[in-house]
Amino acid sequence: MHVREALRRLGLLLGRDRATAELEAEMRLHREMRAELLRDGGATATDAAAEARRRFGNPLNHEEGSRDMWGLGSLDDLGQDIRYAARRLRHRPGFAIAVIGVLALGIGATTAMFSAVDAAMLRPLPFPRPQELVTLPQVDVPFDPGTNGEPLQLRRPGPGQQFPKSPNHQLDVYDVVAMRAQFSHVAAWASGGLTLSDPEHPRRLNVGVVTADFFTTLGVPAAIGRAFVADEGRPGGPKVVVLSEGLWQRQFGGKEMLQHTVLLNNKPYLVVGIMPRGFSFPKQSDIWIPMSLPTTFETFDAFRGFLPSQVLARLAPGTTVDLASKQLIAEWQRGISRDPTAANASDLPGIVNDLRRVGAAIPLQQSLLGDRRTALMMLLGATGLLLLIACANVTNMLLSQAIVRRREIAVREVLGATRARMIRQLLAESALLALTGALLGLILAPASLGLLRTLLPAALAGVAPAQLDLRVLIFAALLGLATGTAFGLWPALRTSGGALSETIKAGSGHGTTSGGANHIRRGLVATELALTLVLLVGAGLMLRSFQQLMGLDRGMNTEHVGTLEMSFRGAAGGRAATLRLIEPVLERLQATPGVAAAGVVNDLPLGSGGGISVTITVDGGPEPKGDDRPGARLLMASGNYFKTMSIPLLAGRSFRSADDTLAPPVAIISAGMAKAYWPGGNALGRTFRVFGPPVTVIGIVADVREITLDRDPRPQMYFSIYAETPMNVALVARGALPSQALLTAMQAAVHAVDPSQAVYHVRTMDAVLSTSVAPRRTNTLLISLFAGLALLLASLGVYAVVAHSVAQRSREFGIRSALGATGFDLLSLVSREMAWVTAIGLAAGLAGAWALARVAESLMYGVTPHDPLTFIVVPLVLLVPVVLATLLPARRALRVNPAEVMRAE
Amino acid sequence: MPSHQDRDEIPPGTLDMLILQTVTRRGESHGFEIAEAIQRASTDVLQVEEGSLYPALQRLLIKGWLVGEWGRTAENRRARYYTITAAGRKQLAHEVESYHRVAHAIGAILRPV
Repeated sequence: MHVREALRRLGLLLGRDRATAELEAEMRLHREMRAELLRDGGATATDAAAEARRRFGNPLNHEEGSRDMWGLGSLDDLGQDIRYAARRLRHRPGFAIAVIGVLALGIGATTAMFSAVDAAMLRPLPFPRPQELVTLPQVDVPFDPGTNGEPLQLRRPGPGQQFPKSPNHQLDVYDVVAMRAQFSHVAAWASGGLTLSDPEHPRRLNVGVVTADFFTTLGVPAAIGRAFVADEGRPGGPKVVVLSEGLWQRQFGGKEMLQHTVLLNNKPYLVVGIMPRGFSFPKQSDIWIPMSLPTTFETFDAFRGFLPSQVLARLAPGTTVDLASKQLIAEWQRGISRDPTAANASDLPGIVNDLRRVGAAIPLQQSLLGDRRTALMMLLGATGLLLLIACANVTNMLLSQAIVRRREIAVREVLGATRARMIRQLLAESALLALTGALLGLILAPASLGLLRTLLPAALAGVAPAQLDLRVLIFAALLGLATGTAFGLWPALRTSGGALSETIKAGSGHGTTSGGANHIRRGLVATELALTLVLLVGAGLMLRSFQQLMGLDRGMNTEHVGTLEMSFRGAAGGRAATLRLIEPVLERLQATPGVAAAGVVNDLPLGSGGGISVTITVDGGPEPKGDDRPGARLLMASGNYFKTMSIPLLAGRSFRSADDTLAPPVAIISAGMAKAYWPGGNALGRTFRVFGPPVTVIGIVADVREITLDRDPRPQMYFSIYAETPMNVALVARGALPSQALLTAMQAAVHAVDPSQAVYHVRTMDAVLSTSVAPRRTNTLLISLFAGLALLLASLGVYAVVAHSVAQRSREFGIRSALGATGFDLLSLVSREMAWVTAIGLAAGLAGAWALARVAESLMYGVTPHDPLTFIVVPLVLLVPVVLATLLPARRALRVNPAEVMRAE
Repeated sequence: MPSHQDRDEIPPGTLDMLILQTVTRRGESHGFEIAEAIQRASTDVLQVEEGSLYPALQRLLIKGWLVGEWGRTAENRRARYYTITAAGRKQLAHEVESYHRVAHAIGAILRPV
């Protein structure tokens, strides 16, 4: 029965034109027969036809009613509404382009930001049951100094000395493995870089150094071959490597690689497995090599002797992050009470407090995201505000259109269109506008993705790249529909319905706006101004922070400096061979015309943020206690390094080649280190120790901001490369040459000495600086961009409202000026109401910005969230375009010719 | 013939029943005949905006209570003739019965005390 009914409907749907024709024929026949009957009764032909029509009612209504019966009505109408809306918009291209443009901006910005936030925070990590994965801060990866390998010389115990065992109490990986109720798998990983030795294309690779349990913890097995087994990575064990699918394809063309050997830093590694496509955790790893537990010097032999390690675990079934975190803290506390004499006993309560605050087990996604969360949320919020402003603007545009359209719509309602139908039609128009805007925004969004990628932490880059996928498409479509309804519904409700006859009688020309509509329009503008002010204050604070940061004394000058990096790990010949390469390279470079100075350093300032800090003993200094034990960043540099980087030598001298292993150890220290450990006294000539003979201070240089610009420099000490030869160096050269020529000269110098030496990270120091501040710059740039767009939209909004109000009141102005009002009177009449709107908008905006500024406090540098300068200057920045946008259209009031206005009536 | 103002609107929901009843009584009829018949039978008390008959006819066709066949009138004009189906008869019986039940109930309430 129902099936047959559906079939009948389907038949009507398919033969719709015929069914409609039949219906019309039937209804026409009816009216003709009625008219005939009436004529037979004596009526004239005209009267009969009129009466027949009257008694039949509106045939269109009945036809529509019939189509509704067919069940196609609404679909049919929707198509009609959309076609009609498209036709109407084609007739007003200016309006359509303005609305679509404004919406494309708002939706495009929000969509692009959403794709970044989605990648970083919403999309689950691409591992099985990712919610079970946690990182465990403060948990130690045990280290066995052993006797194997060649440790850094400074760390090597002197004759008769024992390598200092860590006397600290620390929860380590073994303790966590024992907590079987909480954790099913535990693994450690570190991230570093190695050079793939290849006669043709030496390549720098990102390397994950991981324990055998790493892949099982993540739940991702090798696609081909196998991952690591427990024995691998032990000192003297076989050197094995697992390749990423990407590297396998790029470098090896996807050919059979299992049981083949690859050379990493000139050492052979046996390929045992290849990971599935897309797997590159941690940090876009190209390859993975095993980490033994405990780690030894050999584990990180290929790197700079040390890599910071992190501990990853998978929660056991039935436990939660909170529960695991509580259990870990309980373990820490048990340790404290068991070992009250531990060297770090006084630090432990602090550690436990920290863990209570941040959690002893942190969801992996959250820990990968790190401190970028606030920036992402701030920017997503900013685009949200921008979208609101865009909507307010479009609502205003539609409202002024609505006033014009009221008559048309009133006429159509009189002709029998229902109000619901009219609202649907107006909504179809705004939905069409919004969806077109969303489409255009989606086209704009990919362009901004490149920029947005710098916002995402590097740790996430390989795991969850920002991309435009189905989720983002759906988000944009929903955003388009939601905004279309939001800004379209209200004007639609206002336009339709109401007292029809009055609207029609009220006549044409200026249209009539009720006071209510004007209030709404002004309210919308005040809202736009308030939201714009919030964005401007945000941008102001970010710009001020960036300015403060870039204005800091960095302790060096990055201009006209080029750099490249080299690794000598695994090169035959050790230290002497390394110096045999570095020395002639530096000589060649300094002899090159246009190169003023050249030097090397082991850790490039602002380069990677890695590096080593060691504890020192200050001879004659106070006994260390608690965490006050002195420490310093350990750096190794050539004598000309300071000159090359323009690091001021404040006292003493730089290194000479005679400062080698045979000479008494000497160091150059930073001003900060001198001040910290030799307060009040001249540090020059004083001595300190780093596991060995006393080191004499021969020079003092300025503090260099070397980790990131916003971190205050720690005490720094430099050793001569002749005494402490690094296995990885950054070559730096300063010169008046154009940067590209300088970089080419540097590479040429290296290759002239050793054609097989791989170089990587060839770039200018300015580029290094720029990369180090990239996330902050992107934040600042984006919020400034959003604020600028908001300012533009708000100014347009003000302009439109004033222009509309002037046009509407031209009669009044004509009469006033006929009665003797001066131009100034008229101008102030128009401006006064906008002054109120602006004042209210500014007050609300300032209050909002004041309240919201704290949220973004962690993103600021060198300014308080309530920075007085920002809060004073920003409203002025907003006022200038608002005043312009008011006065420009207001001038039109002056040009009203009283005589013309009167005649027009 | 009462003037137009005196005519009563057909109570909502009863138009289907009236059409089905009319077609049952008259047999094969086209739209105009049905409209005329309803008015005549109600001695012109019931007024239907004549056009509203057609959406109702479409609904009855879709429900399968009526079938329509195109034929020729006495004056040789093309017209759609409606005939009731078995399902239509069943529906009519059902509607008439429920109408009587309701009318009886309303009558009972309005009965003077």
